[in-house]
This record gives sequence, structure tokens and C-alpha cells, in this order.
Amino acid sequence: MPRILVIEDDPQTAEEITACLAASGFESLRRFDGPAGLEAAMTEQFDAITLDRMLPGLDGLALIKALRDAGSDAPVLMVSALSDVDDRVDGLRAGGDDYLIKPFAPKELVARLEVLLRRHRTSGAEVRLRVADLELDLVKHEAVRGERRIELLPMEFQLLEFMMRNAGQLLTRRMIFEKVWEYYFDPGTNLINVHVGKLRRKIDGPGLLPLIRTERGQGYMLYAP
Amino acid sequence: MRLSEVWRTSTFRLSLLYGLLFTVGAVALLALVYVRSAVYLTQRVDRILDAQASAEMTLPPSALRQTINDALLVNGRASVFALFAADGSKITGNLRVLPAALQPGGRPIEAAASADFPAATRLLARRLPSGEVLVVGRDISQLREIRRIIASALIWSGVLIVVAGLACGVALSLGPLRRLRLLQAASHDIAAGDLRRRMPFSGQGDELDMFAGTVNYMLGEVERLMAEVKTSSDTIAHDLRTPLTRARAQLHRLAQSPKVDPADIGRVTAELDEVLERFIAILRISELETRARSAGFTATELGRILEQAGELYQPLAEEAGVQLSVSAPHPAIVEADPKLLFEAVSNLLDNAIKFTGEGGRVRLELEAGGAGPRIIVQDNGPGVPPGERTAVLQRFYRSERDRLTPGSGLGLSIVAAIVRLHRFRLELQESEPGLRVVIECRPSY
Repeated sequence: MPRILVIEDDPQTAEEITACLAASGFESLRRFDGPAGLEAAMTEQFDAITLDRMLPGLDGLALIKALRDAGSDAPVLMVSALSDVDDRVDGLRAGGDDYLIKPFAPKELVARLEVLLRRHRTSGAEVRLRVADLELDLVKHEAVRGERRIELLPMEFQLLEFMMRNAGQLLTRRMIFEKVWEYYFDPGTNLINVHVGKLRRKIDGPGLLPLIRTERGQGYMLYAP
Repeated sequence: MRLSEVWRTSTFRLSLLYGLLFTVGAVALLALVYVRSAVYLTQRVDRILDAQASAEMTLPPSALRQTINDALLVNGRASVFALFAADGSKITGNLRVLPAALQPGGRPIEAAASADFPAATRLLARRLPSGEVLVVGRDISQLREIRRIIASALIWSGVLIVVAGLACGVALSLGPLRRLRLLQAASHDIAAGDLRRRMPFSGQGDELDMFAGTVNYMLGEVERLMAEVKTSSDTIAHDLRTPLTRARAQLHRLAQSPKVDPADIGRVTAELDEVLERFIAILRISELETRARSAGFTATELGRILEQAGELYQPLAEEAGVQLSVSAPHPAIVEADPKLLFEAVSNLLDNAIKFTGEGGRVRLELEAGGAGPRIIVQDNGPGVPPGERTAVLQRFYRSERDRLTPGSGLGLSIVAAIVRLHRFRLELQESEPGLRVVIECRPSY
């Protein structure tokens, strides 16, 4: 069971996060200020950390720097009310792995954590991704489903790569937009739906096992049943 | 009005400085007059005494006594003539004792009035070859009087100038201070919330008026912005009340019903999602408005942005049955934040596709105008009624038509905020039929 350290000074938000983590099968430990959070992160082993940007005692940026300086490479998801691009860049530059803006849906937090955990486990140096009979050759830039070659536009290829790297994981629309297109504004729900829909028509042809699943109101999952 | 306030005014300090300079000048002038005239008169007396003494010394002793006696008869009230023996005893003349300070052959001295001689005198002594001492002198009370007059004129005029200078300083400072008081009273009223109030003008066009003018201009801006903020918060409150009320009513109904249908919860969630979406947009607008202007500015190729945005929205357009075309024939580079411009173009495309509907056409174009490149998003949808065109660019304004479609409805407000941040110009035009949105990518200062 993955262990998550939740460093968050607002008790209600912390409660929400831990409840949601528990529901998704995570074990979590709560710390309410910077110094206590850092101490916990240094002395115990965690699979990932969620970190509020603004904390009493020691702010999130300083904490993450201290953590990285101490040699820890636990993935860190920064959670912040500061949503400007510059703030995001600061957070990532300080050593954060992902950046989530408050207010957020708890599901979104869990989805992002799962992506972080997976990325942490895999090396990321694969040249070939495989889910069921769908194969993506990252060197030759080719997608093959069974025997059939699939023609993909560049953005579609990147979208599929992202989804395959995180196969079995819930991917929210916002996550997809941020990771694949690298824009951080709200694109509206429909835009990403349409892109995923188009990709789905290409890879999930008629008579084939559907690989891309829609999680109603939440996002998508590429999934080998 | 306290005196310490008067002292601190610049008018008072200036008049004090002028008064001081004037006093120094006047004192210097009078001192010069005093010194020159006193010295002149004294020297003149000394020359006369010297001449008299020299003339009398040439006479034989008997003639000298006679001459002294004659002179005493003629001029004994205004002059001193006396002859003393070598041992200091008086031989003749109108001076009883030889003054101790008077050195024969030395410089003339001044002697105060005494029992012998009723006026102040200047005395000169010479030793005769016989050893006797000849003393001549002149009444100098007139000279002393003149000196006294000049000295007192000097003191009194000095005192007068200083006092008058201080009084003028105070009087001159009172005017500006009084006006300052009026300005203060006005600013207190404004600080208390009366934003209609303005700083008073005296009409003299002096520096205080200039200052009041600047402050008034600023107040005008503040009033305008406050009104805008108030309208914004009214709009937001009004806008959020509807979905929140609906969500509340649905929750209430759910609480009453014995069995909970997940579809009902889904509806409430959708309602609240809409509220959240609007909040995200509102925060985004505030964020854009408070942002340091040139934070992420760099030389940006507009054509690429248009192509990328077109690529991003092509599938959406296809699904909506809208034909989306992108045309950026000439490269155009401007100083801009590419991510923000992309966001603006995306919002415009999103709007255009949403409102044009099945069978419509949306054109995204880059035009190289003489005044700088222009990004144009043109659709052939229903357009925006002319009365609403300026309003839709305002902060947080949601057009009536937005209320029926999904989304925050604040897309245009976000675009307007981004355009303002770049100091570009945003214009909405009628395009027979449809809407033509133009971003003039030339910063105006």
C-alpha cells in the first residue's frame, strides 16, 4: 500500500485529502506545518508527498529545496492557491514534480499522485510502449493495433504516448491538457473530450476491444481489460 | 492653527530666509555709514587740533600765554586751551588737571564731560621746548550725538526688519496653510468614502492648484475603477446566485426524498461545477490584471500561435460541424507573452465555434496591417448586439446569450484582460452576419 505524506496546514483540506487517499487505497500521514512536515519527510519513507505551497514555519518552496538537498527523490505534488504560470514554474523549479491548483477535486489529486508514483517507478527510457495489442514505437513514431498501422497526427501521438505511459490510471482533462499541450489555462471540458474522442476512433476500431474508457465527469483511462 | 505648523511651512521659512538676508544687508550698510562718518569726523577734529597745536608751539612763551587767554575769551566754551608746567601744575587755561591718559606728543584722546568742561572733548597734548605741556581740545558732543543717532538707527531698523520679516512670514504662511487645511478636509471626506468629492481649487494656478488637479485626476480614476469593481462584484453575485440557488433547491429535494438517485447527485454536481468553473475564470482574470506586465514577454511569432491554436480547435470545430480555417500568410513578430496570446486566441476560437453552430464558418487570420499585425477571428454566427459590444469586454461581464451555453461565459473577459496586459487593442465588429473580433497587436502607450 503506497504511503503518502500530506503536508497541509488547513485541517479541512487535509481531512479531505486523506479521506480521498484512503478511499483510493493509500495510506497517509498528516503534518500541519513546514518544520514538522520536513522532519517526517526526512525520517520516514514515503512513496509520494503532497505539499501545500504556503505553510506556517517553513514555506513549501524552502521545504522542497531542503528535501532535495538532503538527497530525497520522493515525488512531490505541490498544492497551491497561487495559480500563476510563474508560481507554477517556481514550484517545479524548486523540485516539485507536479503542481495542482486549489480548489481542486479530490479525485484530481489522487489521479495526479498515481501518475507521479508510476513515473517514479518506471525509468521513462522505454522505446516501446504496449497496452494489450496496442503498441507504440517511440523511436519510429509508429502506432500499431494488432496488425493494423494507425496514422496519427503529432499531437495525437503525444496524447496516446501520455495515456499509454499512464495506462490504468485516471487522467483528468486538465491533466491531459497540461501534460500533453503544456498549457495551463482552463480549456473547457469539451475540447479535450473531442481530442480523446478522435484518438479513440482511430485506435478503438469497430470489433476491437475498447481501450480508452471514459470515467464519467472525471476523465479518461487507457486500460487493458 | 498652531505656531509650530506655521514654522514648518515652506513659505515661512522662505520669508524668514529673505528677512535674514535683508537684515544682514541693511546692517552692513548702516555699519558702513556709521564707521565711515565717525572716522571722518574724528579725523577732521584731530587735524584741526594738530594744526592749532603746531601753530601755537611756534610762538614764544609769553605770546603763547596771551594767545591762549585770547582764545579762551573768544572760544572758551567750545574749545580747550591749557598750559601746564613740567611738573603738571596748571599755568593757564580752562582745564584744571592734566588727564593722566593724555600723553604729550601722543595720539589725541577723548575725555568725558567734567566739572572743568561741560562737554565731551577730544584732547591733544604737546610738550614745549621749555618742558611745559600745551593742551588743545574741541567739544565733540555733536560728533558723539551723530554717532549715537546712527547706532540707534542701526539697532532699531535691525529690530524692525527682523520683527517685520517674522510677521510677514507668518502672514504669508497662513494663506497656504489655510488652503492646505481645505485640502486636508477634502481628503478626509474622500477617505471616509465620499468619492465624488474633489480637491478645492483657488483658481490662482499655483503649485497647490497644480497638485489639487493631479489628485483630482487620480480621484476620477479611482472612482471609475471603484464603480467598475462594484459592477463586477454585482455581476458575479448575480451570476452565481442562480446556479447556487438551483443546487440548493435540488439538495433540499434530495434530503426530503427517501431514496437517492445518483443522477440527481450528478445534476447538483454539474451545477456546482459550473460555479467552480466561473470562479476559476474570475480568478484567472484577477490574476491577469494584477500581473507584472512584461513578466513573460519575448519576441513571439504570431503565425505559429495561430496555427497551433487552429490545430488544437480543429477537432472541436469538426465535431460541432463548423468549418475552421487558419490563414497566416506572413510571419509577424511582436513582443508578447506567447502562452497568454495562445490562451486569448483559444478563448476566441472556443467562443466562435460555440456560437456559430452547425454549418457555420470560423476564420482565424493574421493580417499584416500598416499599424502592426492584427489577429482576426471571424464567424458567421449570430454576433453580438451593438449595445452589448463594449459591455462584453468589461471585467466579468456575461452576455445574455452566455447564460444558455455551457462554460464560464467569461472567455471574452479573459481575452480583454490579456489584451490589456499587452496594451494591445481589442475590437468587436459586425461582419454581416456574425462577429469579427480583432486584436491589434501594437502596444499603445
